[in-house]
Amino acid sequence: MLLQLSNIFKWVQTGGQRTFLLKDINLTVEEGEFISIMGPSGSGKTTLLNVIGMLDGFNEGTYNFMDQSVHQLKEKHRSALYKEYIGFVFQAYHLIDELTVYENIETPLLYKKFKPAERKALVADMLDRFNIVGKKDLFPEQLSGGQQQLVGIARALISKPKLILADEPTGNLNSRQGEEIMERFKKLNEEGVTIIQVTHSEKNAAYGSRIIELLDGRKVSS
Amino acid sequence: MITNNFKIAWRNILKNRGMFLLNILGLAIGITSCLLIVLFISDELHYDRYNKKADRIARVVFRGKVGGEIMKEAVVMAPVAQTLKDEIPEVADATRIRRAGTPKIRFENTVYRNSRFAYVDPNFFTIFTLPVIHGNNVDPLGKPNTAVLTESEVKKYFGNTDPIGKELFVDDHPTPLEITAVIGDVPENSHFHFDIFASMLSYAPARSTSWTKSNFFTYLLLREDVQYQQVEDKLPLVVEEHMGPQLKAEIGMSFADFTKDNQIGLFLQPLTDIHLYSDFAGASELEQGGDIRYIYIFVAVGVFMLCIACINFMNLSTATAAKRSKEVGIRKVLGSEKRQLIFQFLTETFIATCIAALAGILITVAVLPLFNELSGKTISLSFIFGYETVILLLLLIIVISLAAGAYPAFVLSSFAPVNALKTRFFTGRDTRGLRNGLVIFQFIISAGLIFSTIIVSKQMSYIQNKNIGYDRDQILVINEATLLGNNEKAFRNEIRKNPLVQHISVSSYLPAGPSYNSMAGIFMNGQYQRRMFFYDVDKNYLQVMGMQLALGRNFSDDSGSDSLNAIINETAMNILGLQKDPIGRTFVRDTDQGGQELTVIGVVKDFHFKSLHRQIDPLIMRNRPYGGLIIRTKTGNMSGLIENIRQTWNRFGTGEPFSYTLLDDSFRQTYRAERNMGHILRIFAMLTIFIACLGLFGLVTYNTEQRLKEIGIRKVLGSGVPRIVALLSKDFLKLIVFSFLIAFPLGYYLMNRWLQDFAYRTGISWWTFVLTALITVSIAMLTIGLKSLRAAMQNPVKALKAE
Repeated sequence: MLLQLSNIFKWVQTGGQRTFLLKDINLTVEEGEFISIMGPSGSGKTTLLNVIGMLDGFNEGTYNFMDQSVHQLKEKHRSALYKEYIGFVFQAYHLIDELTVYENIETPLLYKKFKPAERKALVADMLDRFNIVGKKDLFPEQLSGGQQQLVGIARALISKPKLILADEPTGNLNSRQGEEIMERFKKLNEEGVTIIQVTHSEKNAAYGSRIIELLDGRKVSS
Repeated sequence: MITNNFKIAWRNILKNRGMFLLNILGLAIGITSCLLIVLFISDELHYDRYNKKADRIARVVFRGKVGGEIMKEAVVMAPVAQTLKDEIPEVADATRIRRAGTPKIRFENTVYRNSRFAYVDPNFFTIFTLPVIHGNNVDPLGKPNTAVLTESEVKKYFGNTDPIGKELFVDDHPTPLEITAVIGDVPENSHFHFDIFASMLSYAPARSTSWTKSNFFTYLLLREDVQYQQVEDKLPLVVEEHMGPQLKAEIGMSFADFTKDNQIGLFLQPLTDIHLYSDFAGASELEQGGDIRYIYIFVAVGVFMLCIACINFMNLSTATAAKRSKEVGIRKVLGSEKRQLIFQFLTETFIATCIAALAGILITVAVLPLFNELSGKTISLSFIFGYETVILLLLLIIVISLAAGAYPAFVLSSFAPVNALKTRFFTGRDTRGLRNGLVIFQFIISAGLIFSTIIVSKQMSYIQNKNIGYDRDQILVINEATLLGNNEKAFRNEIRKNPLVQHISVSSYLPAGPSYNSMAGIFMNGQYQRRMFFYDVDKNYLQVMGMQLALGRNFSDDSGSDSLNAIINETAMNILGLQKDPIGRTFVRDTDQGGQELTVIGVVKDFHFKSLHRQIDPLIMRNRPYGGLIIRTKTGNMSGLIENIRQTWNRFGTGEPFSYTLLDDSFRQTYRAERNMGHILRIFAMLTIFIACLGLFGLVTYNTEQRLKEIGIRKVLGSGVPRIVALLSKDFLKLIVFSFLIAFPLGYYLMNRWLQDFAYRTGISWWTFVLTALITVSIAMLTIGLKSLRAAMQNPVKALKAE
């Protein structure tokens, strides 16, 4: 078991009223799964993903990640935890505009204090694996959307995470580029990486092994 | 990590080139100002510090109030030095300077007239640190008729030949002076500058025992660990003991009786205080000194400039924060800790500050000559690269980096990643109060400086235009006419023929610029009154100067019959109590040879013959024509006339160079310090408002970026451009108006105090405030308006699409 959410509630206080973003979410994810979270706009998909990624907190419930109680951890330990095990992929790619492809991929290693030689080897390896060696000195704005997302995935993978969280990774891409990205995820999953993605597309969801459907912050099926 | 920080900092700088240049420009100007001010102040504070015993040297000065006249003299009586040395054990040694102007000096066949000459006691060079570099370095002035010259003076007379043992002939000095030693030039920051130091042993008046005639600058060397106040406390007794008997002999009053209504005494002034604290300027001070108040003003201006520049940096950095929030979010998600982000942002500020410092140094180097000219200093370039300046710069860089960078760094790094990653995300609502406060602070300073500048200019133009009781325009002064000797009269008659010359007066007494100066005690009905100024003039003086007689008559042609008559000014008339029928009344002028009775034949209307800083003093004119020529001219072509007179001079002269002054120039010269201050203040005021506007520009940018969506919606709903500009400007305008509420009372208070220093001064009227407000608001509105206009003109679709 990789992670387990039990009775997770998250709300915001507006006036005297609580508006629930997540209601009583229970979810267990095993290692090697490929899960797709689906649901209409505003159903809480991204919020759930952020909670899993520890970027966002919750108000009630318990969250265990690799046998650690996330809800009891201090901010510092929590960030150490996701730094170590989780990679993020975003709809808008979120590459750092001022850094080249090479440097973008390298950045997580800097924060994990890898030695220069190690960094060089790891990044070279990753560039090779994604076939973007020729683009390593380009800046994000010089790449197509699909290429940018590839770099985003490469960056997420560089620190060898156990879990990849992808928030509509193909949302900004055309269908051909989207397929490429999904194929890439499938391959990664086959190599043993656990993946949780948020998606609107049934077609993309089909790549996964399990679908979780949300409506108004509540899990309606899994 | 650190190279990565530098790399990204550099790329960010290149990306936001415009904003970065604004930042750098503001900071560079701030740093330049700070550097210049530090150089200026450090130069001022180091006056007389070249003396190794500076902390143990004090000058004896005279202060008193006699018959209502405030008396202060930087010179004291001849026997004071020896007496204090003998009678006060805390005094280790004492030495004197007797200033002797620039006498005519001859070496072989060449005559010089520009050597600053002084007699000093033989022990002078053991107290002041002016090392002998050539010649007798043990006791160079130990014998009469010896002299020590400065290095550049030696060059002037002797070129490269050895001066030791050579003889100089000095006017008024019976025997030639033998040169015994050469010293280095007197350092620039000394309160005295002489070229020739002659031995006091050959100066007879130095042996005078009179305790009523002050002529000697007297310096005490105190024993180690002695406070000068300890010595000062003992002075009243010494004065009473020595001056008392002589005073009684002279004015017929015992010391105790005299000091019932009058105060006189000797006081001490530490050597290192002379330049900045001496209040003898305009009286008998050796040289025009500095002013500690201007030091304070400069320190304040320097700190303000730096604050404003730092505030700009903060405001401009937070203005670009919106653009950086995404990066912050990504970096946090990728595993950056807050600490690392803070460090990254500080690195950026650090780089920017270094670049600004570099630019600041370059600007300083470029403007130093101009600054020297304005401030009357001779700060050299090498000083900028001295280790003190380098340390100061490093310190400045660190302090500015932290001060300017810390706030943005903490704000930026505290973004929560989830929020930061949203496309349009701004914090800052909570820090708006702080930012507003900073803007208000900047504008308090800007408006305050503009206000001060206006007042200074107003006072200067008041002085320039005030009716000073005489007409200083078109007056040419040939002060050295006496050099012509017997030819003087012929020369005078020759130039009188020139139709452009209206009148000529013979006198060396001038109401502005360098002038003869003499005072004497006045007795009336056998009673000592007080000292008054004396002018020796001729019958043309009043006419040439355009002075008006209030009563009586002018001196007549026949100088012989008027030699015991006097014309007094209105102040003297009032002080002597002669308001009713002054003509024909008599008083007695105290002289070395006993009293001289003078009869009043006229009263001249008061005119300002000292600076407008002080009230008009009583003045008495006597008919004794001698000295320089004062020429009233009527010409638009003054330089042509001067050239003409020069040729005449050369025909009559004995090879002496022709020199002249214009009375109006001398008048302006009197207020040079204030004028320089005004110039410098104006420049700093302009720079301050410029930097403040850079900041404002940044803030408006920030604000409009925040409100882009609002602007878009308003435009879609039909709002016109002017209304949007007004909407965006309104808030800033409020802040600026609010800053006036503080700037005006503060400025009023400070400038009022500055004006108190002038006995004759302009007022602070309501329009000064209005003008300040107008200038400030219009400059600010220009800045805000430009930016707002651009925001308001933007296509609304663009703003709304981003959502």
